[in-house]
Order: sequence, then structure tokens, then C-alpha cells
Amino acid sequence: MTTSRSTRIVLYVYGILVIAFLYLPLISVGFASVSQARYLSFPIKRYSTKWYGEALASSTVSDLLTTSLSVAVLVTLISVVVAFFGALAFARYHWRFRTTFQKLILLPIFFPQTVLGLALLMWFNSLGIIPSWKTAVVAHLVWIAPIATLIVAIRAYSFDPALEEAARDMGAGTFTILREVTLPLLMPGLVSAGLFAFLLSWGNFPLSLFTTGADSTLPEWLYAKMVSGYSPLVPTLGVMSVVGSFVLILAAFAVAWLVRANRDAKVAQD
Amino acid sequence: MDSSGLLRLRGVVKRFGTFTALKGIDLDIAEGEFFTIVGPSGSGKSTMIRLLVGMDEVSEGEIWLRDKRIDQTPANLRPTCMVFQSLALFPHMTVGQNIEFPMKIRKEAPAKRRARAEELLDLLRLPQSYYDKRISQCSGGERQRVALARALAFDPEILFFDEPLSALDYRLRKTLEKELKDLHARTGKTFVYITHSLEEAMVMSDRIAIMKDGQFEQIAVADQIYSAPVSRFVAEFMGEVNLFPLHAGADGKIASPTLSVRPGVELADLTPGHEGLLMVRPEYLRLADGGGFDFTLSGVVHGEYALGSRIQYEIETENGMVTVEKLREDRLSAAEGQTVTLGFNAANTHFIGDAA
Repeated sequence: MTTSRSTRIVLYVYGILVIAFLYLPLISVGFASVSQARYLSFPIKRYSTKWYGEALASSTVSDLLTTSLSVAVLVTLISVVVAFFGALAFARYHWRFRTTFQKLILLPIFFPQTVLGLALLMWFNSLGIIPSWKTAVVAHLVWIAPIATLIVAIRAYSFDPALEEAARDMGAGTFTILREVTLPLLMPGLVSAGLFAFLLSWGNFPLSLFTTGADSTLPEWLYAKMVSGYSPLVPTLGVMSVVGSFVLILAAFAVAWLVRANRDAKVAQD
Repeated sequence: MDSSGLLRLRGVVKRFGTFTALKGIDLDIAEGEFFTIVGPSGSGKSTMIRLLVGMDEVSEGEIWLRDKRIDQTPANLRPTCMVFQSLALFPHMTVGQNIEFPMKIRKEAPAKRRARAEELLDLLRLPQSYYDKRISQCSGGERQRVALARALAFDPEILFFDEPLSALDYRLRKTLEKELKDLHARTGKTFVYITHSLEEAMVMSDRIAIMKDGQFEQIAVADQIYSAPVSRFVAEFMGEVNLFPLHAGADGKIASPTLSVRPGVELADLTPGHEGLLMVRPEYLRLADGGGFDFTLSGVVHGEYALGSRIQYEIETENGMVTVEKLREDRLSAAEGQTVTLGFNAANTHFIGDAA
């Protein structure tokens, strides 16, 4: 189908508007972070990277990063393990109440996170657990592990169970099958599940707000500083947080690209 | 326990809940045999092969391989290997890694594995350059050969096949049928093959077992199953067939409600006072203008269909639609709508007794 000139112009304008709407706010935060002024104002009079220097030197910032990173890394690891076994249980075994269980597990994704956070906080209180970043890990998991399971399950459903049967038929035991067949085939799913888990935990605000107790994650701190006692470190940390996420995504793409290139090089040798 | 066969089944039953998929199977497969189990879907043939390779457990009965009872042995400890319907080639491995997989499991040295993989590529007529190819780069026929090479690398006592050709197009299937038969001859291995395609079974097998409702209807060489089926089911399953009701009076005189029978005709299997079905394959029917046939009937030519080298006619008779097949050069000199008399001789028929 050929597009007429006028349709094309409308499409371009539409596309540019959407992109501007999505990214301009983010870009403005980027500009704010390199302004030397203490308070947010446009246009920026003097550019400086001094707030980045302060951020890197600040012990508050390193505490925040440590907490956010600890939560995100633990949530990622546990989610991936839970997702691996959960997805296999759904895709490979037929048991009673399987579909009911599947729906129940996915339900927390659709709860408003504030309600989920509040409910978990009340639950921790009634159990006598003092909220800290560790309880936040549990809270994040309630919401993130189902999403990770869903991602791995999509991969697990598309994989022919005959592959594992064939490996067994050729003499492989359970552990060998897992190592040689199941894990390599589910790996793309596990990597994307891990990536999602990390990013969702890293950026999560509502669940953390209710469940971190005295500890504070990066999004919580950004919010607190915006509400009271604005610090010029806010846009700086905002940018650092976004850059961290991008680096992670780029790293994942780079690994995928390297694996593929390595495989292609092997094939091209003959 | 007699030990005549390489693989012996005694009273094998498989139940799924209240459903009995296999109803007491006895079977002996000889060493080096190409044995094919044919049956429609739901006949129990897939259940059977899963029991034989050890992916399901028998409910009752015994399976023996040589002098060892194997029905309780898990699949990974049985010296047998199967080529799956989906082929089950590992998509994350190269052709070479796929072929070497069973040797890797046995912890053979990489150099030895590589040498054997190269031998198998030759045996399966795949170029050596395929060693490093990815499975996704192979065509359907090449994948088939890789799956065979991998199964042979396992060096199984028995090689099982679960309808591996069913997803391929007609021409490729025909080529691979011949290659499989040839491979069987060259390797001398015992092949047990499952298919729903009778043609496939006939081309390749030493013996064929016809399965229906969890039991064997008949086990025999291909030719015998075609020309002397034991039941209506087998006769109809084995291609186009014409069946006529027939009975013998107390005096031995043969009569049929739909056929004219020449006086004095005798059928070996039809004893006085019994009835059954007379089977004649479409290629044995002739135009009976001059007479001299044991059995005749008349009908109207209803349709003519080209089958390549042969032509098939449908003739509407008192017995329903009768199928006639002729070589192209012998086509019937009768047009559609014309009334013809068809004849055939007792020697070209097979009688299926009343029990069946």
C-alpha cells in the first residue's frame, strides 16, 4: 500500500508528538541535573556536573543505592528461581486445580500496588516483623515473581517436551537433562524474566513506601525530597537511576549479541 | 519363558484410569527385523511404543529384551532409542552436537565422538560441512537424517520410530522410506516402526502388525496382509477393496445376494452352512463380456478417476459402489453411465469367515 503525502505528514507529526510527550520530561530532568543552581528553573544559566560529584561522595546516596540494589538483586534472584520451577510446573505437568492456581498466582499483578503494600504492611505488623528492606524484598516478590513466572512460562509452553524425553531416552538422567536441555532452552526466558524483575524492583515506589520501614530505596528518597526539603541531588539521582536501568538493558543486549556472534563465527568456519 | 525373539511382550496391558489402551499384547520381534505396527489414531500404537521405550509404565504383563526383563527399567537405562515424531532435535545445539549427544552422555572422549559423528554423517549421506550447521539451517529431509544419525550414535539394540515421516511432503517421504529400508539393511539393526500409513509399512517392513482398539488384528508379512486379511477391518485398512456377502448352503453350494456365482465354484475356506465376505482387490476385476468368470455382477459406470499410472473406476451395483482399477494402457472401454458386467475369479479372491 502506498501512503499519500498528507497521510505521511500526519504520521510523522503524530510520531514526533508521542515521542516528545514520552521523553521530554525525562530529558528535562537530565538538564536539571547539570544545572549549577540549587533550585529547578529553566532556562539553565550555568551548567555544571558538581551535583554528580556530590552525589558520588555522599554517604546518603551510597546507602540509598545499596538498599535499592540489595532489594533488586535479591528480588531478581528469587524471582528467577521461582519462575523457573513455577513455569515448568504449569507447562509440563498436568495436575488438579492447575489453571485455578495459575490464575490465583497471577492475580496480585492486577491489585493496586498501594493496596497490596498496605495489606502486606498490616500482615508484617500482625506477625510482629519489623519492616526493613528485607520485608520490601518479600513485598516486591509478591508482585514481581508472578510476572517473572509469566515470562518464563511463555518460553516453557513453546518448548517441545519430547526434547527432554529424547534426552532421557538417550541415557541422560534428571540432572543432566536439566543442565544440557531444559536450562539452555529456557535461558532466553530466564534472562528476560531477570531483567524485568530487576527493573520493576529498582523502580518500584508504592510497595517500597509501605514496607521498607526505616530503610529507604532510591524512588522513596526522590519522592520524600520532592515533598519536603528539595535537594539538587534529586534530578541527579533520577538520572543516575535511569542510566543504571539503561546500562543493564544494554548489557543484556550486548551479551545476547556476543552469544549470537560467537555461534555465527563457529558456523562460518567451514 | 521361551527366548525366540529379541524383544518379547507377554500379556502387556496398559490402562489410563478406566480406559484400557492395550488389552493383553503378546509379541515376538526377531533380531534384525524391520517390524511395523500400523493402526488408525487411537488404536494404541503410540501407547505401545511409549511402553517399549520406557516413557510409560505397563499396568500388567512383561517386556523382555534378550534374557532381561525391562518393563520396570526407566527409559534412560534401556539399551533402546527412539526417533520421535517431532524428531526432538535440540535447537540450541549444532548438527554435530546433536549427533554426539548420546556419546557425550556416555562420557566418551571428544575425539572419538567427533570421529563417530563424521562416520554417521557419511552413512546418512550428509556432507561433512553439516557438522557445524545449526538445526534451523537444515531442511526437513536433512533433519530426518540428523535424527537418525543421533539415534544410531546411541548404538541401540532396537531402534524405535514414532511416525517420523508423517510431517513430510509426499515425494520426500517416498525417498526417505527407501533410505530407511536401505539403512536397515546396511546397519543390520532391529527397527520397530509405528505409522498410520499402510503404504509406508508395505514399502519398508519385513512384518506388519495391524492394530485396532488396543489389540493386534493380524501380524504377517506385507503381501499376506494385503492378499489374505483376517478381517474386514484389515481388508479395508489395507487400501481399496471390494467385499461381497457370501454363504454356502448345507450342500456346499455357494450363493450370494449380489453376485452371480458360476455353478461348481469352490472356495477353500468356505465350509457348508457358513457365511462371510468375499474380498477382491480392485485390480482383479475385468469386463466380463465374453463370460468365463467364477463371479460376475453388473452395474453402471459412475465415475472415472486418474491415479497417475492407474485409473480407478467406480461402478454402481446392487452391492453398492464397486471399485475397479486398471493400468492406464488397459483403461476400460466403457463410458460413464454405460452398463457393464464385471467378472473375477476365485483364485484372486480371499474369503473372510463369519467370525470376522
